[in-house]
Amino acid sequence: MTAVLHYAWLTLRLNFRNRMALVYGYLFPLVFVLAFAVIYRHDPEPLTARLGPLLTVTALGGACFGLPTTLVAERDRGVWRRYRATGRSPALFLSGQVASRLVHLLIAAGLQILVAALFLGMPLPGFPLALLAAFLVVSLALIGLGLTIAMIANSVPAVQALGQCVFLPMLMIGGIAVPPENLPEWAQTLARLLPGQPAVSAIQLASGQGLAAAFGELALLALHGLAGLLVAIGLLRWDSARRPARAGPILGAAAAWLGAAVLALSATPSSTSVPEPEVALPPAAYLSPSPAAPGRSSGKTSAPEQSPPAPSGNPAHADVTPTLPSSWRHVGEEHLQAIAFDRLPDDAGLVAPMAVRGTPRDAATETQLAAVRSGLRAWPPAAEPDPVQRARNLLYVAAVPDLLQMDPLERHLPWLVFDRLRQDIPAPDLPRILYWIAMHPEEGDDRALDSLPALGLPQVTGPTRQVRERAMIYALKFLKRLEDQRRTFAEAASAT
Amino acid sequence: MLTVSGLRKRYGRTLALDGVDLTVAAGEVFGLLGPNGAGKTTTVECIVGLVEPDEGELRLEGAPIDRAALRGIGIAMQGPSLPDAITPMEAVRLFAGLYSVEPDLHRELATAGLADKRDARYATLSGGQKQRLNLALALLHDPRLVLLDEPTAGLDPLARADLASAVRALAAEGRAVLMTTHDLGEAERVCDRLALLARGRIVATGTPAELLGAGSALTFIEGEASIVLEPGDEGLGGMEIDGRRFRCRTEDPTGTVQRIAAAIQSRGGTLLALRVGQARLEDVILERLARTAE
Repeated sequence: MTAVLHYAWLTLRLNFRNRMALVYGYLFPLVFVLAFAVIYRHDPEPLTARLGPLLTVTALGGACFGLPTTLVAERDRGVWRRYRATGRSPALFLSGQVASRLVHLLIAAGLQILVAALFLGMPLPGFPLALLAAFLVVSLALIGLGLTIAMIANSVPAVQALGQCVFLPMLMIGGIAVPPENLPEWAQTLARLLPGQPAVSAIQLASGQGLAAAFGELALLALHGLAGLLVAIGLLRWDSARRPARAGPILGAAAAWLGAAVLALSATPSSTSVPEPEVALPPAAYLSPSPAAPGRSSGKTSAPEQSPPAPSGNPAHADVTPTLPSSWRHVGEEHLQAIAFDRLPDDAGLVAPMAVRGTPRDAATETQLAAVRSGLRAWPPAAEPDPVQRARNLLYVAAVPDLLQMDPLERHLPWLVFDRLRQDIPAPDLPRILYWIAMHPEEGDDRALDSLPALGLPQVTGPTRQVRERAMIYALKFLKRLEDQRRTFAEAASAT
Repeated sequence: MLTVSGLRKRYGRTLALDGVDLTVAAGEVFGLLGPNGAGKTTTVECIVGLVEPDEGELRLEGAPIDRAALRGIGIAMQGPSLPDAITPMEAVRLFAGLYSVEPDLHRELATAGLADKRDARYATLSGGQKQRLNLALALLHDPRLVLLDEPTAGLDPLARADLASAVRALAAEGRAVLMTTHDLGEAERVCDRLALLARGRIVATGTPAELLGAGSALTFIEGEASIVLEPGDEGLGGMEIDGRRFRCRTEDPTGTVQRIAAAIQSRGGTLLALRVGQARLEDVILERLARTAE
């Protein structure tokens, strides 16, 4: 044991003497923090909902590049052979390397959290110990992958190539950088077979709800880690020029991975899918007085389906939230006055963007807008008799391109939808209906999403919660514009 | 001390070792000679368990060499074999831990002549310093058998001489030393006994004197003509030709000299210089290798 610790400690120190290792191991993760903070600057809580992807990317980078690069470089130099000739077990060297890498990853993750908390306003995780445990399991699972790369790669350049082959697909279609619900169905299935998605999920759940909530993901990750470790043992070689293969461990790895696959596919998607990021505040959060996002102080993620606030007694009082109306027809002035429009995401941001009216559009965008405009004339969901459902359907037309980040269309299409809503729905009803939709984003049906291709827009499959959230934000943004107009008219009238 | 018998190892279609037999006694420096790819390193790797032999037996003091027995073997490998950023002090401490011994680290480094380099990074050490460190690491646990794989490769003459005396000192302490090399002069100077390995087989073995004796009939002839010679010229077959210079080994010096003189004369040239001498160990071994190749 002493020898393992001594070896791990030495490995750690040697790594700190490698400038490139420091850049890749510590600087890059901090750059990721900044990048995430900028990209998701409209999140209600900075980076809280991004902790899973952020820390998983760090662990994956260390596992795919840092660990195997060190191992293969040393093997190339004959260092492993020299160690092996001492008669010590390979387990000593592997466990020493793994322990050292774990410390590196923990330091890197700790720095990320510290920087995010100190400088970017991220609340500290609600369950730090659970997060620590989950991150260790995630790191071990991904380190299994790194060990496999080290045993397969013949040289350091081969590590880079193989690492990229694992790193980029895991990021893009493995459920790490791109939320699974934004992926096509085949990629969603693939993502469930890889360790990235449960890793993101485990970190997110453990940090926000505790370790028990992430148990399923952690079990999956343990199987992935075991599979990686067994492959590494099966392919262990002291010399880059030789490639032994031991059938036993390889078969064991296949069994472990099969177990993980069965577990992943048999679980309900919600248990393994990435928790949807809280890009939008819950409806209640847009009502005065400020119902700060639940968990903001505790660091837990907010519950999107949270009910609107309870009646507060005095609807006329500016600091008190009015009682919610029983139907859209009962929405009154006091309800509209209680909306905190200043909490809406910025129009120039990533979430629910809206171009400045009259901004020049390129020819391609014009063509797309024309296609939507003409398609809407014969689009059955736009002719829905129930005005609330009709408005919901039209809001989805703006929400989907936004969710899929179809820039620049996503910034111009909301105006088309806004105009269409004003044209379709009587002026006195429209603010009430928009208010109602904003306060009840989960209601109504979303079958309209299936017929979006008729408007030249992509069809949305899988969970639709995020589409509904975006529709909610657009409803509020449209409402704000209506209110601005009304206020302007009122001021003009009083002035005259 | 060390007994290797019937050692065979095949990598795919390549037969790396084809029945190697050798013994190294305590207090003896045994040289394993041969060209690149002859199987020298594979033999060493089999002894320390880095390569699993297909057949054969390896014994240290009569007992099979297993992982525990490796504690009785010290090895200085070919190439760097240590991380670039490690310092001699860290390396000595690490290997002391791996061998579970507690030597006086400072004294070990001083003995290796590395006291003033104890905190220098391995990459910054000279070739001789690196080799001394490797040797110090190989001896940390006081092994009975010391394996040195190409210990003088890349060293300057002074460092080579230092290492040669260090190796002789090891034998004087009663250790068995097996060293591989393709430097024939060094083998002749340092080793008590030699084995010549070619294509995975030992083709000659004995003391340097015995090997020289085996080639006593061999004479080398070298010289220079006034004209440029061609390898295909009549009467010059089997010779190494380099412009006007020529060189060959022969067991019939008189006849060969006459043949060379006639060949040069027939091309209108004259013999400018000629030297006939007794074969050195190098000549004997090259002759053996040439025969093996045939």
